[in-house]
Amino acid sequence: MANVYNWQIERQMEYPYEGARPKRQFAAVFDLNKCIGCQTCTMACKTTWTVGKGQEYMQWNNVETKPYGGYPMGWDVRILEKLGPQPWEGKKYVGKTIFEAAPRGEKVLGYLKEELDWTHSNAGEDEAAGTLDKGAYFTMPTHDMWFFYLPRICMHCTYPACLASCPRQAIYKREEDGIVLVDQTRCRGYRECVQACPYGKVLFNPVLRISQKCIGCYPAVEQGMQPRCVTTCIGKIRLMGFLSKPDEVKPHAPMDFLVYVKKVALPLYPQVGLEGNIYYIPPVNVPREFLRQMFGTGVDQAVETYLKGKDDPELLGLLHLFGDTKEIVETFTVFPEAREAAGFDKKGREIVRVPFTEPDYLRPFYDDARKVYRHNIS
Amino acid sequence: MGQLSRRDFLKFITVGATTASLYDVEEAFGQFLEPVKVDNPLAHYPSRDWELVYRDIWRHDSKFVFLCAPNDTHNCLLEAYVRNGVIVRIEPTYGYGKATDLYGNKATHRWEPRCCQKGLTMMRRFYGDRRVKAPMVRRGFLKWVEQGFPRDADGRPPAEFFQRGTDEWVKVSWDRALEVAAKGLVNIATTYSGEAGQALLTGQGYDPAMVEATQGAGTQTVKVRGGMPLLGATRIYGHYRFGNALALLDSHIRKAGPDKALGARGWDNYSWHTDLPPGHPMVTGQQTVDFDLSAAEHAGLIIVWGMNWIATKMPDSHWLTEARLKGTKVVVVSVEYSATAPKADEVIIIRPGTDPAFALGLAQVLIAEKRYDEAFVKRFTDLPLLVRLDTLKLLRAGEVIPGYQPADLTNFTTVLKAGQAPPPFALQEKQLIPEGLRKEWGDLVVWDRKSGGAKPLSRDQVGEHFDRAGLDPALEGEFTVKTTDGKEVKVAPLFTLMRRYLDENFTPDQVSEMTWSPKAAIVSLAREIAKHKARTLIPVGMGPNQFFNADLKDRAIFLVAALTANIGQKGGNVGSYAGNYRAALFNGLPQYIGENPFDIELDLTKPARPRLYWKGESVHYYNAGDRPLRVGTKLFTGKTHIPTPTKAVFVTNSNSILGNAKGAYDVIANTLPKIELWATSEWWWTMTCEYSDIVFPVDAWNEFKFPDMTASVTNPFLTVYPRTPHPRLFDTRSDVEVPAGISAVLAKMTGDKRFLDYWRFVHEGRVEVYLNRILSGSNATRGYRFEELETRARDGIPTLMMTRTTPRQTGWEQTNESKPWYTKTGRLEFYREEDEFITLGENLLVYKEPVEATFYQPSVIVAKPHPAVRPIPPDQFGISPQDFAKSDVRQVLTLVMPWEVLKKHPSPLVKAGYPFIFHTPKYRHGAHTTGTDTDFLAMVFGPFSDVYRRDKRMPFLAEGYADINPADAKALGIEDGDYIWVDGWAEDRPYRGWKPGDAMYKVSRMMCRARYYPGTPRGVVRMWFNMYGASHGSVRGHESRPDGLAKNPATNYQALFRYGSHQSVTRAWLRPTLSTDSLVRKEVFGQLIGKGFLADVHTVIGAPRESMAKIQKAEEGGIGGKGLWHPAAHGFRPTYENKAVKRYLKGAFFIRRG
Repeated sequence: MANVYNWQIERQMEYPYEGARPKRQFAAVFDLNKCIGCQTCTMACKTTWTVGKGQEYMQWNNVETKPYGGYPMGWDVRILEKLGPQPWEGKKYVGKTIFEAAPRGEKVLGYLKEELDWTHSNAGEDEAAGTLDKGAYFTMPTHDMWFFYLPRICMHCTYPACLASCPRQAIYKREEDGIVLVDQTRCRGYRECVQACPYGKVLFNPVLRISQKCIGCYPAVEQGMQPRCVTTCIGKIRLMGFLSKPDEVKPHAPMDFLVYVKKVALPLYPQVGLEGNIYYIPPVNVPREFLRQMFGTGVDQAVETYLKGKDDPELLGLLHLFGDTKEIVETFTVFPEAREAAGFDKKGREIVRVPFTEPDYLRPFYDDARKVYRHNIS
Repeated sequence: MGQLSRRDFLKFITVGATTASLYDVEEAFGQFLEPVKVDNPLAHYPSRDWELVYRDIWRHDSKFVFLCAPNDTHNCLLEAYVRNGVIVRIEPTYGYGKATDLYGNKATHRWEPRCCQKGLTMMRRFYGDRRVKAPMVRRGFLKWVEQGFPRDADGRPPAEFFQRGTDEWVKVSWDRALEVAAKGLVNIATTYSGEAGQALLTGQGYDPAMVEATQGAGTQTVKVRGGMPLLGATRIYGHYRFGNALALLDSHIRKAGPDKALGARGWDNYSWHTDLPPGHPMVTGQQTVDFDLSAAEHAGLIIVWGMNWIATKMPDSHWLTEARLKGTKVVVVSVEYSATAPKADEVIIIRPGTDPAFALGLAQVLIAEKRYDEAFVKRFTDLPLLVRLDTLKLLRAGEVIPGYQPADLTNFTTVLKAGQAPPPFALQEKQLIPEGLRKEWGDLVVWDRKSGGAKPLSRDQVGEHFDRAGLDPALEGEFTVKTTDGKEVKVAPLFTLMRRYLDENFTPDQVSEMTWSPKAAIVSLAREIAKHKARTLIPVGMGPNQFFNADLKDRAIFLVAALTANIGQKGGNVGSYAGNYRAALFNGLPQYIGENPFDIELDLTKPARPRLYWKGESVHYYNAGDRPLRVGTKLFTGKTHIPTPTKAVFVTNSNSILGNAKGAYDVIANTLPKIELWATSEWWWTMTCEYSDIVFPVDAWNEFKFPDMTASVTNPFLTVYPRTPHPRLFDTRSDVEVPAGISAVLAKMTGDKRFLDYWRFVHEGRVEVYLNRILSGSNATRGYRFEELETRARDGIPTLMMTRTTPRQTGWEQTNESKPWYTKTGRLEFYREEDEFITLGENLLVYKEPVEATFYQPSVIVAKPHPAVRPIPPDQFGISPQDFAKSDVRQVLTLVMPWEVLKKHPSPLVKAGYPFIFHTPKYRHGAHTTGTDTDFLAMVFGPFSDVYRRDKRMPFLAEGYADINPADAKALGIEDGDYIWVDGWAEDRPYRGWKPGDAMYKVSRMMCRARYYPGTPRGVVRMWFNMYGASHGSVRGHESRPDGLAKNPATNYQALFRYGSHQSVTRAWLRPTLSTDSLVRKEVFGQLIGKGFLADVHTVIGAPRESMAKIQKAEEGGIGGKGLWHPAAHGFRPTYENKAVKRYLKGAFFIRRG
């Protein structure tokens, strides 16, 4: 066991391999306040990557409704239950990670998902905690009845449990972008990774008898494009980019700004210890205790920052760049006076610019050149 | 999960060619032997050549753009990626930010991306096994045609030829199918023409008013319908053009000539779908008020009312979430904790169908607390106008001022002399009012406080024109005026009458009891709206619109908006978001749908000379058994609304018309047998196809060889369906080639060449001639050339509509430029002085309980005695109040009770064992039925999907389910996931005349899964409206197929129910206040004002959420019917939580130390 530093839990932790951060790290931010549970991302992924035999049930990208949804069923409840109480001291997680809590002879604390766990992938959809009786009036700061959508892909972790668990070392992290892959030619289908991934994001193909997972749409990313689940996200909740190492923060890189500078985007179940690289802006209407269990101690600050977003042009500007371009936005600039935000590619070329407020137009009543009146009621 | 041998594996690799093969097999197996050494896979991996496989899957050969438009208002240009000739993936185009208009105005990339899960899986349908692959004719129908149309003595075809649903299908050539359709049409039109034809119809039992309405033209018994025709200006509207062409057939049959000939009846859409907010024309005189959803950017407060914005307006949901991010307050008013509720700052949950009461409650607070905008009320509404308390009519200036001459109207108005033709639409500058109507209306009267007397107010005097009049109208008080005939008459401003009604019946305490809304919610929301004058948007969804009191809901919500100046403002307006409909954006359409078939323009550079020969008609009458609203001794359907008997039906893109019709099984059992020809054009075999006589296979969107265009009510884009380079997969043609093809046969049969010429540019493949005529003829598109629009569309770029403002805000000119509304008074009208309304007690804006979906006595007007609420007692129409359990009677019954009395009167339906309100909203995973039976999408369709169908009882990979409050389900002994029976009111559901044991009853009695759903109140059961229902064929499949699928073995039709459907519990509802001959409203196209029936504007709309239901357990939910459904058994479901889940819900795994 090596000792590695996991910034999300602010401490060193045990991991089977020496730490080695990639040159660039694939990352994404999902704004849960905007997710509409439409499953467009799921279908974008499904139609592209999992149309083959043995993949019928597979959703590398899925969207589940919290608290009752889970694909595989109860994945988070079950790993939290196995892990037991999860204590934090300030921002430091002082409980055990799934590497540290691994049973003797195992590298990772996990469990083998059963076939039926993958069946009803959208069970729990729109189901709230709490039950209505008759009428009701829910107000902020948090609703007495609540649910939210949690869209999920592979976290392309800094310390992947799948990679740690693979007895054949057939799972690896790409040096150039940190995308985690299962080598489809070397995998023998032992399903150690399926058991180990606390997020349930490695899936077994019973026809090919190998494990498969989200590939971060690397064929697109290699061409400077964001993944399918991001470019099709009509809720405009997603932005993919590269996250710098924690000690090399670039404030004008979108991921760095949201994760390190504003701390408005948080890791999912950081206590499991994988330093996952999909970050979530927590839903503001949900009871904080539930959110802290899910996103760690940064929740209160993140919610507060988000709610004050209207007075923070830089944050507001960047949030308006979500879903405006297929290309990867390497850096961004906000023009507070003009109330505009622009995104730039690797070479510094402006790829997109949008206003904070969609422009409104008034056309002349009569267009003499074209001999026509313009009405709103025609 | 299954095992697979190496041989199977190889087979799969080669068979999977449609999606590109996953792996290079030999290489995969070869690598078994090579040792690979990895030191630290976190840092470096030595053998990465295999990564090529996914790059290979990603690769494409070519791409093209098509338009996906399943009537969800979004109209997304999508890019199809093609490999080996097959579409392998679909992407959004990211071209919306490049959209411009003629003046250089631009949209931004914040509109991206536009697509959704239905569109991205569309290739699963393009290549699906339910494509209509060839022209199909029902065997019995074919025989009927071949045998020369034998008929029984009453004129009806013998029943042996009309075994729809169980008959076989015959694949025929296109020529044969068109010929069969044309012959059938000619035979039917001939049979029912003339006095002999009318006599047959009378003998068959049709209402005499309906028979009379045919005027002896058999072509009037022909009904045409393009399903939401705005989706295809030429392609789908082609059916209406066909309806116009049928005047030639009438001319042939009856020798009627161009002056007397009659075309077909054209069935409605917006009103048929219960999308028309029927109170909008009452208040504003025109179809609907709404706004592009990007207007959310300009609001301070958004009240999302009965609208599941994030589920039904998905690509525009970000405008809502981003507005909130920027500080806009969002309040959801709903009957459940909806999908949109978590996106709101406040959520108010009310009893279904009480929306008008809730709105009146807000109005009461606004007035009682004097928080209303007095200036707006006086400048733009009828609230200051005096109402005569004797006749309940508005007081006219001529009645009190001797010798009074109505004012010359000059404010944006032209009075048309008799015979004076309006200018072409594009050049219509002002409202056009026929002189006769102008005279009928007269001028109105206010009580001027300055002069202390009655003063006339003309229709012109709105906004700044009112200011210039220098009047100070009283809002409160009761006055006496002396009429010119010497009488003293008591009058009061409408405001006073309204205020009294509100104060006596709609205080927060009363409204809270009535609507279930906590009192604090009512008071707080009213104050919040008052705080956001001109900055409150009230988007209203289809939920409240699907109750019988929908018009009252509109009138009441407009009242709240008018009291707070929230109409026609950039960030303040009312909007209705049920359906897409705004054909008026293409108001040059009569160039196409109304081109005179007797005077055809074949010069492609010239406009057509329209003359309408087809007449609009509401589908609801057919839906109600081909009957008008005749109850007791009275015909409540106005003359202008009267339908004709339905004998032949030509539809395209219309699953809603039959398969997913309200009360579909009643239509199938009782109305369809009276119809002699039903021809459907479709690219997907729907339930409507199941019961058709002829099914024409048409192109799917990816195959269009005829371009077309459409528009939207929720976004500002004019969107083109470009021609695609993608080949047709099957023997399909464009929708528009169907009516053109039938017409070509008619040309041969009648020898009338005009049937051919009428479609010349279709036959020549130059449909853009018609499209350009429409564009040039329309206010919002004149200046555009179709060819340019299509070029841009091929690059994935739409075009901005040239409306007056973008975002389009209905009423912007009225509020900001002081133009009159399209009403009699030129003002927003909250009073309805027409006799039909006075008779029913709805002249005053009142609240009426739902017609069925209520726990209290249905159809009751909630009111203490009030001088302006004086309905005629039902017994005067031969109706006994004791008949109120009868559905038909409830439609017209008017009883008045104060809330304090009503609340002690439970519904007779509840007492009879039907305790649940059963409502059927729309779901995100279907655009109507489109998408819900797509295999991939079915995976996420609700909780019960299982892609492997381990439980063979499942009708499909997913299935219909009812959402029940867990406490209600438990009380009935129903577990989460059980199969249940859901029965509607037995008098008429699932169909009139059902008997246990009938085959039809088995097909139509609804069985579905029950889901424990914490977000619905006690007593309220929800089921999605989007599923394909059971047909005779699907039931046969379910019971005979080894796999148990509810799939018709003959047609591949796939039901999402084992038995019945959500429509087993619904029925047709006809509302008298929507059936008047007197309501003043603008025509659909242009500025001309008229009155009475108008399809999609003033007509009945149904009430599909008005159902009470009985629910019983049918089977257990566990696989094969044994035990609990798996997720419940494992403790992951509401009320079944295991210990860990309970802890998880509390967030208790998180421990804070130190």
